[in-house]
Amino acid sequence: MQNNLSERRTDEGLSQGELAEVVDVTRQTINAIERDRYDPSLELALKLAIHFDCTVQDLFHLPPDDRPTPSSDTSSNETVGG
Amino acid sequence: MTPSIPQVRLTRQRYRAIVYGIAGVAVVALLAGIALDQHVLGAVVYLVGAWIGGGIAVLAPRWSDRTLQDERDYELHNRASGLLVGLAMGFGLSVLPVLYVLDAGGTVEITGIVSGVVITLSALFLLYGVCFGIVKRRT
Repeated sequence: MQNNLSERRTDEGLSQGELAEVVDVTRQTINAIERDRYDPSLELALKLAIHFDCTVQDLFHLPPDDRPTPSSDTSSNETVGG
Repeated sequence: MTPSIPQVRLTRQRYRAIVYGIAGVAVVALLAGIALDQHVLGAVVYLVGAWIGGGIAVLAPRWSDRTLQDERDYELHNRASGLLVGLAMGFGLSVLPVLYVLDAGGTVEITGIVSGVVITLSALFLLYGVCFGIVKRRT
């Protein structure tokens, strides 16, 4: 899963350690997420989204190859994965 | 005016250093006890170290206001446990039946050490199955 956490964090002038304290994880976990080496739990993703005042899809998105093909009978116009 | 007492905050690095340090001392003491023929002393130091180190490892994350362990640590433990059981199962299923067949044919002889390994692996699988069942019921 890809994300733009690093950009959003630096935009706010936060260090990895400061963001980690806000969402109650270790600095190493924030670092691993930013490097796409760890996919956070839904709870942590929601905490990050709430902190940055955005949706989870604004922060995290699937790479194009991993996105499921929408079924033909789906009437929804929602985009998946940002 | 009361003098302020500097408080030592338990950081993640300090937490790991303490736990691994105590565990290291305990293991060295056990080995030294064997080497120096002081088995009881070595065993006592090891037991004390294991209990204190284990106690700190388990209790410190609950009592500390700092985040010493988080979801990524638990996932790493889960993956490592799965890998361990997978490797042990792969070894157990691929090698051990062959050993028993060769032993029955008189080609090789299963010694006491090999029997110990078989019993240990069997106990590990059994324990894994029990733990899996418990976790599954609670999830």
